[in-house]
Amino acid sequence: MAYSDKVIDHYENPRNVGSLDKSSKDVGTGMVGAPECGDVMKLQVKVNPETGVIEDAKFKTFGCGSAIASSSLATEWLKGKTVDQALEIKNTDIVNELSLPPVKIHCSVLAEDAIKAAISDYKNKQGATSAKPEAVTVQ
Amino acid sequence: MNVIEDGIDVLSLTAHKLYGPKGVGALYVRRRNPRVQITAQMDGGGHERGMRSGTLNVPGIAGLGAACEIAKREMPEESKRLSFLRDKLKDKLMSSLDEVYINGTMEHHLPHNLNISFAYVEGESLLMGINDIAVSSGSACTSATLEPSYVLKALGAGDDLAHSSIRFGLSRFNTEEEVDYVANKVIDVVKKLRDLSPLYEMAKEGVDLSKVVWAAH
Repeated sequence: MAYSDKVIDHYENPRNVGSLDKSSKDVGTGMVGAPECGDVMKLQVKVNPETGVIEDAKFKTFGCGSAIASSSLATEWLKGKTVDQALEIKNTDIVNELSLPPVKIHCSVLAEDAIKAAISDYKNKQGATSAKPEAVTVQ
Repeated sequence: MNVIEDGIDVLSLTAHKLYGPKGVGALYVRRRNPRVQITAQMDGGGHERGMRSGTLNVPGIAGLGAACEIAKREMPEESKRLSFLRDKLKDKLMSSLDEVYINGTMEHHLPHNLNISFAYVEGESLLMGINDIAVSSGSACTSATLEPSYVLKALGAGDDLAHSSIRFGLSRFNTEEEVDYVANKVIDVVKKLRDLSPLYEMAKEGVDLSKVVWAAH
């Protein structure tokens, strides 16, 4: 299979590999895919709670070169966006940027799902923490 | 090979599997005890007792014969040499990397073949990192289907390990130097990809991956 130069570049020099503290309330974690399917993506965002801007993004991916490239690209795009702007990233944007062939479109879908899962985890945490002090005052 | 001792009634073989030319093979059909009857795949002048009509590929046939002659002469020594190289490759990979699994048994293995799974690393991404080495992967992504190798699954590898498998094949023309090169390169790329792998990270944290509920897609 022929890979585009951009896929090869992300595979050879993946951006933002690593992990953020998943217990921190400013960090949203998304884990999508399954080992049996041959793809698992973990994508994390660190959000500034004052501004809603994503200050850092990290990923780790088990999957083919296109899956690695899709998630690496996603972390690049996430940094500097607000959480709402992040939700506007579409899998087709990734397909176009990386020139993914039809059999690799599921990699871009997975990356979009990972972004949504990470943001939703962050939003849930914000909801949970704002509820907590009230619970404390009731006691 | 002895068709009586081995109980062979019909046998097909192809020349390119033993360094002969491509596009030629041989078919053995037992004539008695029992007599085997086969249906011709093509019609024509009725050559070869009607089983295979058409003009013979004489250079190909001579090439198959020569390949068999060399194989008969060199196979015992060659098998030893290839098992030595294969075992060297296996030992080097297994001593430098954790969680590496052999597919199949070493006891009933062809001397030149090594099929091995590198847990937490996806096969196609590994192939991409060793693209100057000609190997194949049991990973689904290398084919049009999303199913991993059914042969590996039948051998007992789970779906996850089937996605992580690589088949190394050694030949008469490979050298010990090449085996060292391949082993070192594979070790480097597996380590790099494990640094990228969320599964390896989870396994190191003590998470039992078989108990995780995955969002299948």
